[in-house]
Amino acid sequence: MAVKEKTQKPAKARKGGLERRNYYGILFCLPFVIAFLVFNIYPVFRTFQMSFLNYKGFGKETFIWFDNYTRAVKDPLFRDAFVNTLKMWGVNIVLQLGLALLLTIIFNDMKYRMKGMGIFRALFYLPNLIACTSVAFLFKTLLDWQYGSINQILMSAGIISAPINWLTGEGLTAQMVVGVVGAWMWFGNSFIMLMAGVQGIDRSYFEAATLDGAGRWATFFQITMPLLRPIMLYVAVTSLIGGLQLFDLPYLMSGTKGQPGRSLYTAVFYIYSMAFGTSTPQMGYAAALAFVLFLIIAVFCGIAFKLMNQKEED
Amino acid sequence: MKKLTALILALVMVLSLAACGGSGNDASGTPGTPSTSGSSNPDSGASSGGKADDIVLWTLAADLKQFAERYEEQTGNHVEVVVFDSADFSTKIMQTLGGKSKDVDVFVGEPQMLPNFFEAGFSADLSALDNEVKTRLVDYTYEAGCDEDGVLRAISYQACPGSVIYRLDLAEEVFGTSDPEAIGELFSSFDAIRDTADKLQAKGYTIFGDTGALRWFSNSSNPWVKDGQLIVDQDRLDYFDCAVDLYQKNQVAFAQEWSAPWYASMAGPLPQLTAADVDEGTVWGMDKDDLLAQGQAGGAGITQVFSYVMPSWGALIVRDNAEGNKGNFGVCSGVCGFFGGGTFLTINEYSEHKEAARQFIEFCTLNDDTAQWWLEASNGDVVSNKAILEANSDYENESFGNQHTYAFYLEEMEKIDYGMITGYDDTIKDAFGNAIISVQKGQQTKEAAMQEFYTTVTTLLPEITIPADAPFYSPN
Repeated sequence: MAVKEKTQKPAKARKGGLERRNYYGILFCLPFVIAFLVFNIYPVFRTFQMSFLNYKGFGKETFIWFDNYTRAVKDPLFRDAFVNTLKMWGVNIVLQLGLALLLTIIFNDMKYRMKGMGIFRALFYLPNLIACTSVAFLFKTLLDWQYGSINQILMSAGIISAPINWLTGEGLTAQMVVGVVGAWMWFGNSFIMLMAGVQGIDRSYFEAATLDGAGRWATFFQITMPLLRPIMLYVAVTSLIGGLQLFDLPYLMSGTKGQPGRSLYTAVFYIYSMAFGTSTPQMGYAAALAFVLFLIIAVFCGIAFKLMNQKEED
Repeated sequence: MKKLTALILALVMVLSLAACGGSGNDASGTPGTPSTSGSSNPDSGASSGGKADDIVLWTLAADLKQFAERYEEQTGNHVEVVVFDSADFSTKIMQTLGGKSKDVDVFVGEPQMLPNFFEAGFSADLSALDNEVKTRLVDYTYEAGCDEDGVLRAISYQACPGSVIYRLDLAEEVFGTSDPEAIGELFSSFDAIRDTADKLQAKGYTIFGDTGALRWFSNSSNPWVKDGQLIVDQDRLDYFDCAVDLYQKNQVAFAQEWSAPWYASMAGPLPQLTAADVDEGTVWGMDKDDLLAQGQAGGAGITQVFSYVMPSWGALIVRDNAEGNKGNFGVCSGVCGFFGGGTFLTINEYSEHKEAARQFIEFCTLNDDTAQWWLEASNGDVVSNKAILEANSDYENESFGNQHTYAFYLEEMEKIDYGMITGYDDTIKDAFGNAIISVQKGQQTKEAAMQEFYTTVTTLLPEITIPADAPFYSPN
């Protein structure tokens, strides 16, 4: 009997303990769950609901079925803004990945034996930590047509004869500038990811390649690149998701107007201006645009993941 | 014990979140930190334990601090004035009153903001004052203060009629007269403006700082939208052509509004700038004193700006920057009567001090003593009180060549047709302005720019239709 009691007691205690842990768990989760429901889930549902309304953000709400969505699909300004976004993101991702890859090669090459890796990693990552507002104003000042340091340096070095109007001249120039600034901000993050990817590759591949007489470039293109592809795709996909939501840099660097012309209007900037940047706000339409953008990003991501999975299966 | 500790920890976390969310109605806890007067604590005031007749006022105009001080002197009732940046103000009101905040009793709005405030239901009914406002204040201010059902919800102590502010000495030199009526004829139509610009250019002067001055005349004969249709009439096309011509013939000084060259031009000669200075933003880095020194040095490439088109508050800006030219300006009519800006007071629908708020608004807007006091204290502001304007109509304004400026503005206000104003104006004018700029710079033909203008309007405002016979419009 005594033995039986001994074996039953811990079982009861375990049961009670489990119940208590669950109870505590719920309590501890509660703050996050409440915040998540209030600040994430509710706005998403409310935005979705608003996307079917003719609604200014105040006053009367009229249900208009899919009118906002059909309007969004036909909206030439939204289309232009989306193309602007792609242009800026295109410049950004090419430079961001290119620079990160180049640095990854240099820092992993045994021949160079780079020292102070930790310091460089921190330095490259630093622009990521600076608030976007500061970055925008910093580059606005550096790129000022008349007083900007960049024009002055280029002119005193004899590279250009007249100052370049980086941000207030041609729309394409301004878009390229925003892309480059974005790349400067975010290449450190890509660099760290690629470095982690390279360091995760089994060293025996490289040793085998060396024994087989493969040169540095052959090793890079035949071993490093293929094995790094999933990481590069991951970086590209996350950059795409962020890039299609580009707002703060062009908003601030264009002085909140999207100028020159409408060249610095991005998709999110356009959504913002529809909701808040006009005396005739169209919150319902802005909500529909937000969901259209969500769908576009989802499709892009789907394609990217499909590609990624295909490569892995191959 | 463990259970109790866990419970307390969880509660603390939940309550801390609730505390974060609860700051939405806090006057000082949001972007655009306001400046306050009348209390050391911006959150304190009537709604949080002051006297029943004490109220809180949110405003864009620091002027109202002086009104609040005078009100307190005369009634003993305290008004806490919180001044906000204009860029944040509308959003701030929408967010705060959207949450039905009782922390604000009176708030202000400019005419273009008011329809949104009314539609959102933030402004209390002031129709008890309807008759008085209608008979005693300038007509357009009454109309601007009514919602779409004609219910009075906002009242202004100011009126801001437009005018052309011109140089008396240059008028004498070029046109042989500085009489306001004669000079007004030179600005009576867009064709007349082009002729005037030619004559001024022949003498080495420019008609405006930049072509943006013409925008005030864009509502000359029709509202932008009537019965849901966009109206682009001949006057608007003339405005378009005039703005392009003045720009391309270098008949403006390319001294962009609010830039140092623009302010400098009020005080004397300055170097003739170029379109590139505006396009490339160089004007914003220039120094007023340097420009005036270069202007004083004289020689080739120096110009003077003849006129400025602005509401009455703009005349005060010209006066205050005129330096040696003070007294050398006159005011006359332009292509049409217009107004711009103005501070309207309205009562928060959710306020618990509506009666005290109404008394303060009455004091600011309908009290003759206050109107006369403000006319003098502000050193030239045009008040909305017609009786006071009439009483001061003989006042000879030294800053404007001893002209009877109040009499002039009273006449100008008669020309203002509030029916010309629509809620779409800002969006449409921006798009029309962009079309003009693209032609001025040679980036587009007029046809292409107009087509793009129609596309922009119908895209941004899909409820508006373009008539099939609209100029330069092709539906496909």
